Amino acid sequence: MGLDLIGYKPWSGKRTEHNRRFLVIADSIVKQKLSSKWLIGLLILGTFLVHIIPIILNSMRPHDVLESSVMVDYMQSGLFYIFDIILVSLVCSDLIADDIRSNSIVLYLSRALRPERYLIGKWLGAMSIICLFTLVPPLVLSIAITATQSGPDYVASAAVIGQTFLAGLWTALFLVPIGLMMSSLTNKKTYAGVGTFMFFFVLSIVASILSQMSNDWTLLSPENVLNDTYQVLFGLTLTGGVNLVLLGIMVFVLTVPPIALVYYRIMRKGVGK
Amino acid sequence: MKQGGATVSDSDPSGVSEAENTIIATDITVQYDSVVALDHFSINIPKGIVGLLGPNGAGKSTFIKTVLGLVLPQYGKIMIDGLDPRTDVMSIRDRVGYMPEHDCLIDSMSGVEMVAFFGRLSGMRKQDTIPRSHEVLDFVGLGEERYRPISTYSTGMKQRAKLAQAIVHDPEILFLDEPTNGMDPLGREEMLNLIGKIGASNKSILVSSHILQDMEQICQHVIIINKGKAIIQGTMAALLDQGEGRKRLKIRGTPDSILKFMEHLRHKHEVISTSEEYGEMTIVIINREGSGGILKLARDDGVQVRAYLPDRITLEDAFIRSVKEVI
Repeated sequence: MGLDLIGYKPWSGKRTEHNRRFLVIADSIVKQKLSSKWLIGLLILGTFLVHIIPIILNSMRPHDVLESSVMVDYMQSGLFYIFDIILVSLVCSDLIADDIRSNSIVLYLSRALRPERYLIGKWLGAMSIICLFTLVPPLVLSIAITATQSGPDYVASAAVIGQTFLAGLWTALFLVPIGLMMSSLTNKKTYAGVGTFMFFFVLSIVASILSQMSNDWTLLSPENVLNDTYQVLFGLTLTGGVNLVLLGIMVFVLTVPPIALVYYRIMRKGVGK
Repeated sequence: MKQGGATVSDSDPSGVSEAENTIIATDITVQYDSVVALDHFSINIPKGIVGLLGPNGAGKSTFIKTVLGLVLPQYGKIMIDGLDPRTDVMSIRDRVGYMPEHDCLIDSMSGVEMVAFFGRLSGMRKQDTIPRSHEVLDFVGLGEERYRPISTYSTGMKQRAKLAQAIVHDPEILFLDEPTNGMDPLGREEMLNLIGKIGASNKSILVSSHILQDMEQICQHVIIINKGKAIIQGTMAALLDQGEGRKRLKIRGTPDSILKFMEHLRHKHEVISTSEEYGEMTIVIINREGSGGILKLARDDGVQVRAYLPDRITLEDAFIRSVKEVI
């Protein structure tokens, strides 16, 4: 280091569109996360435990067509959900907490980037990583089952593949807002990570206790909400007398207010109002 | 409003023509609930290095946020490079670079990664950012350190990295908040040189600092803010100049010769003040002519002239005086 002898040089390149700059944030998150050995290790372990065995078993088992019930059973497995929430806790924990801690949120928002686009960039980055676990392996499974089916009805199987795509995407859409909310509430990523996991875990415990009084309380558990929405997405009948209106309310409560809270926190921390 | 002690018109408070101003704020008011952060605030910011001074809570940060479009004024009008933040906020931010006072860097990235990242966020294409990042890091004097994670940087290196991210997209207007904060004297000197070099490229650089010596060294213009109002703005020379013909004379001699000299001096010039310290007399006089007459008088009366200078106050004096006047 030392006093440089180079003078200041202007730059006169062409600028990119304002509306596309949130992609830079998403791109950076994906690169950063995929260079983390811990996360890669977790993805490999989760894929092996949750996805590989069903892919092998379901492909080898004789079947005529890809059935919705097979995919629902697979996606409703407890292990799938547990790895989902561990992954969300790890991926989302630092996304906003680190920017608040380091105050770099001020640098983001001093750029030609609106707070909502900053949020979309963070959300998209998290979604891309979570989908590697919730969307890609279920799609591979559904395609593998379709490829090994003995019956001729590929149209029905293709419809289930489409439903699987929606269900995989929905899993990430449903879980990421809570992860981002926890990340925006603290400037310590450890607290955010543990907070996210405990949020899902504690609500499930509370739901199981309160369900003794009324079956409606089962919908307090994000796991139950997610499982019931799988039934809806795959066109199956909801079992256990689930109240559809209550299910809709819980879906709303667990997605929209958390994202609104993240936006509010970004405005508070970044803009100061 | 005052300019270096003289009142200037509200339409042209900076003392330069309107076309040369990059930021023109007219009567803007920004209020957070019951707190008025900017109160009918009017300033014109010309190109060059402009010092933005004010005590804590004076409204400097609010003004910067207003220029960045993060806060919109309830009243008044503000134009940045001819653009209105209400309608062209994104275009304005592309033209503005901001170096905050506090730590704001992404610790997990290396210097070059972070500068490139913020370059891309400012609209630079990926292929342009890497060479440009190296260029600005060379400029700010970050060598091989640029490949290390920012978390390992010293305070001085962090200040350089902050400056690099602020200039990577070559902004027209640059806000530097306490740019020399935490730097050693050598690093401080280098940072001031860098700011001077950037200022030489026809940009508006707003520097906010509590180290008034630094400001005095690099700024061509000064704006002093207090309680949400711009109380003084104008050129540094005008602010520090005490008035035409005011000179500070330092002499030594025997008591008799000094008395004689003082008597002769009072006959010919207006003497503002006299003081004595360690046998050296300091006299402030008004002399609109050359120094020849004074020197001849001193020689005739047998006193030594140790210094004969224009009487200027320091920026610190001007700052304290102007802030106290408002209080």
